[in-house]
Amino acid sequence: MSADQFVQYLISGLTQGSIYALVGLGFTIIYAVTNIINFAQGEFVMLGGMLSFTLFVSAGIPLVPAIFLSVLIAVAIGALLYLLAIRSARRASAVSLIIITIGASIFIRGIAAEIWGVDHVRPPVFSGSGSISFLGAYIHPQALWIIGTTLVVTIILHLFLSYTMVGKALKACAIRPVAAGLVGINTRAMALLAFAIAAALGAIGGAVMAPLTFTSYSIGVMLGLKGFVAASIGGFRSPIAAVIGGITLGVVESIAVGVNWGPFTSSYKDAIALMVLLVVLLVRSGKLAEEERIG
Amino acid sequence: MLARVKSQWAYIVITLALIFLILLPFDWFLGQYTSLMIFIGINTMVTVGLCLLLGYTGQVSLGQAAFYGIGAYVSAILSKTYGINPWLAMVIAATATGTFAYVIGYLIFRLKGNYLAMATLGLGMIVYIVFRQEGQFTGGPDGMAGIPYLSIGGFTFDTSFSRYYLVWFFCLAVLLISQNIVRSRTGRALRAIHGSEDAAQSIGINADRFKVKIFVLSAVYASLAGSLFAHHMTHVSPSSFGFLASVMVVVMAVIGGLASIWGAIFGAATVCLLKYELLLTFGEWDVVIYGLMLMLVMIFTPEGLFVRLKSIFEQRRLRREAEP
Amino acid sequence: MSEAILETRGLSKAFGGLVALNKVDLIVKAGTITAVIGPNGAGKTTLFNLIAGVYPVSDGEIRFRDVSLRNMPPHKRTALGIVRTFQNVLLFDNMTVLENIMTGQHPRSSYGFLEAALRLPKAHREEEAITLQAMKYLNLVGLGTHAQQNALSLPLGQQKLLAIARALATEPQLILLDEPGAGLNTLEKRELSDLIRRIKELGITVLLVEHDMPLVMGLAEWVIVLDSGQKIAEGTAAQVQRDQRVIAAYLGEEVE
Repeated sequence: MSADQFVQYLISGLTQGSIYALVGLGFTIIYAVTNIINFAQGEFVMLGGMLSFTLFVSAGIPLVPAIFLSVLIAVAIGALLYLLAIRSARRASAVSLIIITIGASIFIRGIAAEIWGVDHVRPPVFSGSGSISFLGAYIHPQALWIIGTTLVVTIILHLFLSYTMVGKALKACAIRPVAAGLVGINTRAMALLAFAIAAALGAIGGAVMAPLTFTSYSIGVMLGLKGFVAASIGGFRSPIAAVIGGITLGVVESIAVGVNWGPFTSSYKDAIALMVLLVVLLVRSGKLAEEERIG
Repeated sequence: MLARVKSQWAYIVITLALIFLILLPFDWFLGQYTSLMIFIGINTMVTVGLCLLLGYTGQVSLGQAAFYGIGAYVSAILSKTYGINPWLAMVIAATATGTFAYVIGYLIFRLKGNYLAMATLGLGMIVYIVFRQEGQFTGGPDGMAGIPYLSIGGFTFDTSFSRYYLVWFFCLAVLLISQNIVRSRTGRALRAIHGSEDAAQSIGINADRFKVKIFVLSAVYASLAGSLFAHHMTHVSPSSFGFLASVMVVVMAVIGGLASIWGAIFGAATVCLLKYELLLTFGEWDVVIYGLMLMLVMIFTPEGLFVRLKSIFEQRRLRREAEP
Repeated sequence: MSEAILETRGLSKAFGGLVALNKVDLIVKAGTITAVIGPNGAGKTTLFNLIAGVYPVSDGEIRFRDVSLRNMPPHKRTALGIVRTFQNVLLFDNMTVLENIMTGQHPRSSYGFLEAALRLPKAHREEEAITLQAMKYLNLVGLGTHAQQNALSLPLGQQKLLAIARALATEPQLILLDEPGAGLNTLEKRELSDLIRRIKELGITVLLVEHDMPLVMGLAEWVIVLDSGQKIAEGTAAQVQRDQRVIAAYLGEEVE
């Protein structure tokens, strides 16, 4: 692989990794606050792309309000998921919650297939399609939008968690749930907020990603898995670690495909991420078990 | 006394059910449902495996379709491409799937709950990708056709009528074996692991080993079902073994009642009826309904629809008996 | 009588930087009732978990008779003859009372998947023996009339007895009881004391961690006191109660 190619793969890895990072952030926030893994997390990326496509292309709403509205609808769906499915299942075991969120995942996916059909959907790019030359590589302008949006969203989330009352309360729930309840933080409202934020993160990712990578009703599972990998690299506790995890995964995946050797060909791109998943889980398994025992 | 009355009733019910099953494929009875029943039998076998793993042992697998698929593809490739006897192919498939599950299980059963669920989901996806990509063996996304039927001596299972009996012979054997296991020392060990893994270890149960063993058994069930599927359909393609297929197994197990062996038939029957009889023209709505079912059953009757109906029925009966 | 059944030397456990147990030497003599006491956070539960094999030892040695327990998984320790109960009981909530105890017979039976799947004669034979043994332990703890009830339908006192019966069904030589008296009323505590004495009469060595001082003082022949992860005293109940360091350790803590 030449240096130019390397830069090219690096950039495409950063772009993909940004999306994984946003999904991973969603997993992390929900898990930190509620100890639930939301298996429907990837569906919000799908919804973000599909909704913005409909509002922007079909309904003719200008781009920015269209995306804003899509995110809002996704947030509403995320909130409903929590209120109707998660909160009704009191005393539910971890296994029940897994099955419930899996149910939600295929429910959303099935409805999406009915509304948008089973073919790929590609919304127009935000600005120009002429590639920008950079260090011998070419960058699609939409890739810059993706990376930039992820950066901005991450910073806003960080500021929100660190400097607002609500954000601090959310953090408190993640670190000391019992104590947070004792000092009067409404832990259920916080759980609802976590699901809403996670839905928003996914939908934003979906909306900026779709013009570059296409979108379809069935992309949710794979993106969910990859976001989970991102979050598990970060140990499900730190949002920043989830972002780093996502970017790392994107880059590893892209470069492994670039090497184009043995199993590392583009047709096995998704399998590479899944291998990373298994390796990360197994390496961390001892630590995870210990944490569960003490925590 | 009461126990004897109960067991007499059980014999009558079992005899009637057997007669029903034997007569079902005849045209003057319910012959038009023969091929539906074949699918129910095959799906029941996969579901029972997950019930043992998830319902009794408490370990999630979101990748059972992978084992089903390996069974189907190994049978298909060996018998069609290499001309090996289909029965031998089936045995080799089951052995290979079991070995694969053993190696995987040895690695991943250090994980619990959410992590285990994701690991098995990922595993299922990897296997699915392999089915799609290794075109020179599997025929790629289009799959492969022309898989031979099973045969014994001079008799070939080339009609749905005959394959119905073949499939249900296997299905009932799997159900019986599973029931025997559940009601044994091994079954108690599995339930103990579900109840509390720490407590199970404390009384000398090697939890990891039992988890791996039951995982292997569930994989072997799925593999046999896959082989039967391949030799029934005579063509296979990856779409039967993807993520949704694995979720379908969960749906069938959940409807049947996770910790219920015979409920698996009920779960498989419900799903197959929906899929092949009622929803044929509905497109993707079946997935919506399965998603809804998963959520509703887990929220309102986590023990499963079949088990819930059964206990309501039994309570009614007890109340009736209590009244003179 | 004076033979050691369990012995630890320099036993230590650290969690990250936190030292929970620091170079503890102790000897439990066969056929006795020995108690480990100490204020909260003294390392009692950590000691138990190390003996039971819940997590690995950081440093030091544990020997059961002449076998080193280091690196031995929990289930093998049970097969060897060590069993423990839990502070939070941990009954199998998906089983009846009798089935809970039958499950305890696991290490004393051997038929496996194949025998079970095909209902071979060995399975039948062992099942009968298991049921018989389980009934024996059920009656020992006085729960004979509750055999077919769900385990969690029992009141807490009886749940704790059931947990002990389940442990006894593994036919141990040494039983570790983790706060068996916690949450029990006076009457239940008396029943518990009687049961523990009966266990000793069966020739089983008892090691218990307990907060309830009257219970400990009435039962234990030998008392080991831990504080901040270290052994600070041991002796008979009377000796320990007079020990200045023990009194100092409990200062600021209410002595129950």
